[in-house]
Amino acid sequence: MRAVLSAMPAFLRESMATMFQYRGEILLWAIWGVVYPAVAMAMWSAAVAGAPGGHEIGGYAPRDFAAYFWLTMVIGHICTAWDVYELGYLVQSGKLSPKLLRPVLPVWQSLADNIAYKVVSLGVLVPIWVLIVLLTRPQFGIDRHAATFAVPAILMAAMINYLWCYNLAMVAFWVTRMEAIGQGWFGAGLFFGGRLAPLSIMPEPLQKIASALPFKWVVYFPCEMLMGRLSDRAIWTGLGNQLAWVAFGLVVFCVMWRMGVKRYSAVGA
Amino acid sequence: MLRYLKLILLFTRVSVQDSAAYRTDFIAHVLVTLANFGAELVGLWTIFSNTRSLNGWGVFEMVALLGVFRMVSGLIGLTIAPNMRLIMDDIREGKLDFVILKPVNSQFFVSFRRVVVWRLADITLGILLVVIACVKMASSITAGHVFMFIAMLLAGGVIIYSFWLVLATLAFWLTRVNNMEMVFWNVFEAGRYPVDIYRPMIRRALTYIVPLAFITTFPAGALVGRTQLSGLALAVLFAVGSLAVASSFWRYGLRHYSGASA
Repeated sequence: MRAVLSAMPAFLRESMATMFQYRGEILLWAIWGVVYPAVAMAMWSAAVAGAPGGHEIGGYAPRDFAAYFWLTMVIGHICTAWDVYELGYLVQSGKLSPKLLRPVLPVWQSLADNIAYKVVSLGVLVPIWVLIVLLTRPQFGIDRHAATFAVPAILMAAMINYLWCYNLAMVAFWVTRMEAIGQGWFGAGLFFGGRLAPLSIMPEPLQKIASALPFKWVVYFPCEMLMGRLSDRAIWTGLGNQLAWVAFGLVVFCVMWRMGVKRYSAVGA
Repeated sequence: MLRYLKLILLFTRVSVQDSAAYRTDFIAHVLVTLANFGAELVGLWTIFSNTRSLNGWGVFEMVALLGVFRMVSGLIGLTIAPNMRLIMDDIREGKLDFVILKPVNSQFFVSFRRVVVWRLADITLGILLVVIACVKMASSITAGHVFMFIAMLLAGGVIIYSFWLVLATLAFWLTRVNNMEMVFWNVFEAGRYPVDIYRPMIRRALTYIVPLAFITTFPAGALVGRTQLSGLALAVLFAVGSLAVASSFWRYGLRHYSGASA
């Protein structure tokens, strides 16, 4: 534990410097996080006009959709994780080996990279987010209660996404092609996290599947909470679900890491 | 003319032989394509379980649009993107000299030399969707519509090729244009839905700056009877114009190429 505490500041400094060097690429990756919700926003606002009644879909008027997808933009960014690709590369190339020799797990350095990316890209993203608010004038319904729980909810959301992305990434110890798995992860995150559409307006079978997956608690739950659409009871249940997914994720992480590293070393990388 | 056709066949055959050596790769890509396709259909299901139309586009019109989107996605991934990527790489590494030395028109060679075979899956699925949409809307689709559709598609293909060629030619001056491809695919996502759903300014940008509308909304619109002959004429003019501009820009860039031994 002491090793982690003393290593993290160094990792963070290094990651911030690296991410700053790659600011061109970062701009492009960050744009993806904006384009997708922006397109969804435009699409659902147009869909409202064709809906029975023509004013709203499932309790969402165009301004509500604007608010919802703006929130998915911000929260989606805060919860980004990409280790499902990164770890596969490290395992394949053998570059994981020097990292295994350190007194701290490689996951801590990946975490530093993750945080650095999120911080450095804020420079370009915050102006874009503000611009979108000014252009679309979304309607937020947030209340004080939801605001108090926003921070723990978002923190846990980020932890859930990072943890489970890393858990899936560890499949790289057994499988050579992670690309398809990675695409599957991101695709599922879009659907079942409520980034294509709020989960409440998705077809029933999909909602059931979403309830069994962690994605719902990463983006959809915090967004609904920050829009003031959840009752107090729903907020507490949601936070409990998030805690459960974090705990479950930690257990799976420990088990998979031990098994994975054993296999990695056995293959003689 | 025949010579060029024979060369295209040769390039295709070589690419097929190349990918035959990596069969698992091919199968993996096709499976991912099918999964993406399934996801897109589920997306359409989600939309139309909540609304009857998207800016006047009903469910089978959207199916047609998705089909066109898939087809064009496949076409770009099949020849346009890989060849343009190769141009940018060759320029950066100074290998373009080998292209210039070949006894064929350089623009022809760099545009057709590579074929990414598994993208045919995308094109096939797209055609399948378009056919399904046509069957379901058989009462309102005439032969005239189909003719306009094919013409629009061809015009759109030429326009998007010219667009990419201009981007690739920029590599003669700016070396780090590789990320352009990623930006393109990101913006291309907006073509999934008819461009009329966006604000006027964005709609214009997606028509004249990045010619997305010409390859997705307009061809699909032509099929379902939303385009007049004047729209088709405009597209054809635009196609011819953009091809002329892109080709002369390529020749201009080639003249300024300093080569590997500069």
